[in-house]
Amino acid sequence: MLELLTQPLGEAFFQRALVAVALGGVMCACLGAYVVLRRMAFVSTALTHSILPGIVGALMLGFSPYLGALAAALLTAAGAAWLAARKGTSEDSAIGVMLSVMFALGIVLMQQANSWRDFTGLLFGSILSVSSTDLTVIGLTAAGVLFGLRSLHKELELAAFDEEYAQLLGARPALMRGILLVLVAFGAVACVRLVGALLTTALFVIPAATGVLLGRTVPQVMAWATGCAFLGGVGGLYLSYYAKAMPSGAGIVLCCSVPYFIARLSQRPN
Amino acid sequence: MKGFFHSLRRLSSKGIFALLPNVPYSPKEPSRCGGMAIRANGLSARARAGGAWVFADATFEIPCGCRTALVGPNGSGKSTLLRVLAGLLPLGEGSAEIGGETPRLGRSRVAYLSQRPHLTEHFPLPLRRLVQMGTYAHHGWFEECHHGDQAVDLALARLGLTELADRPVHSLSGGQLQRGLIARAVVQGAEILLLDEPFAALDQGSREIIERFLAEQGPALTVVMATHDPAELAPFDRILEMRDGTIRTRHACTGHTHRHA
Repeated sequence: MLELLTQPLGEAFFQRALVAVALGGVMCACLGAYVVLRRMAFVSTALTHSILPGIVGALMLGFSPYLGALAAALLTAAGAAWLAARKGTSEDSAIGVMLSVMFALGIVLMQQANSWRDFTGLLFGSILSVSSTDLTVIGLTAAGVLFGLRSLHKELELAAFDEEYAQLLGARPALMRGILLVLVAFGAVACVRLVGALLTTALFVIPAATGVLLGRTVPQVMAWATGCAFLGGVGGLYLSYYAKAMPSGAGIVLCCSVPYFIARLSQRPN
Repeated sequence: MKGFFHSLRRLSSKGIFALLPNVPYSPKEPSRCGGMAIRANGLSARARAGGAWVFADATFEIPCGCRTALVGPNGSGKSTLLRVLAGLLPLGEGSAEIGGETPRLGRSRVAYLSQRPHLTEHFPLPLRRLVQMGTYAHHGWFEECHHGDQAVDLALARLGLTELADRPVHSLSGGQLQRGLIARAVVQGAEILLLDEPFAALDQGSREIIERFLAEQGPALTVVMATHDPAELAPFDRILEMRDGTIRTRHACTGHTHRHA
């Protein structure tokens, strides 16, 4: 029985996948706490989906896919903010417009490039083929994002809870929201290898939604979310290692959702 | 386990915050008790950019330590005036001064409580943390909340909230939450308190605690309170009446006089 757990650990690709999922899980869970508390799940979906044209475009033009993805995500965030600031467009329709436009653009670009590249890994994740370059990117991004979240914790918390008071104190809630969006964009780009552009949003939303059910303060929510993301990530890896028919990204997301449903069903329904 | 997390947190904050500069949100404000707390000269304002004038050409003065009621029917501009003074809305025409400066954001000596605070629902936040947010005015960017615990305890006690300190904010009643918000303004070090209908839909108990608390503050606190309930006017030194876009002073106090409820 124990051998079932230790045997994959001997393989280098599995070790790399484990480190990647741990780092990415912690980062997405902590960022996700704010995404969920601020009801920004939709904008995080838009950012993760818009990575698609960024990566395909970068590969076609021949520069780093990470840079292309980041540029596309930041462009989406800025575009949605710009559209929402105009009269007659609400924020969620602005996000919806940017999401669909960017994703459609991605599909067009994929069609152009399909002859020489297979993009399923990009769409659905390919964590079992993570390279050491990918690991470095995830590690550095996780360190930067966690540093940002920790150093601005009280301002981010205040802006998320009581925007008007943050404004009155001079703590710049609009800036805090922008910083959070940028951090989400960085996190989404770094994690696209884990579960793919279509499902990265799950890493932000599901563990944090579990944390919100269990935690009584923001740090507690982050701690519970981190635990769930870690368990779900590791569980998903083993699942896809043994069940060959199980795609790794989908396995991770499904495993993350188990603690959520347990927590949800064990709470009083009010 | 809990101890481990606690020390991990302390270690991480020590490491991180040692690296970063501490920048205040806005310049430190000295205490300015004395003279005129609020002065408006020919002030006009709109409730939103490009909208109609809500009131025009308002001229009035409120001395420090004075408790002022702002009365008038719904839509007469009470909220707009308070929001202009708090710095949340731009000055239209004319001039205004609050605590010796033109209204702006980032004032630790001025606190404003809106009629319906827009707090994010079901946010995981204990009441103590809400009150602690008042100390942020004395901290600044990149600084862990590390001082002001005594002030927080004192404010909680004086508003009768000590027992509720660990309760989540979303489980509190309207009155308990309102007391928490006033405690936060006190911890912030506010000398001028702008209250927009603080007693609307409040239970009698909370209302009495808040009234007693405000009365205890004496001349150290200047209170401007919007209300449309004539029964609430007894404890005020001064009444500003807003009607048909103008403001009139009905009762005036000379300075640091005080009548208690």
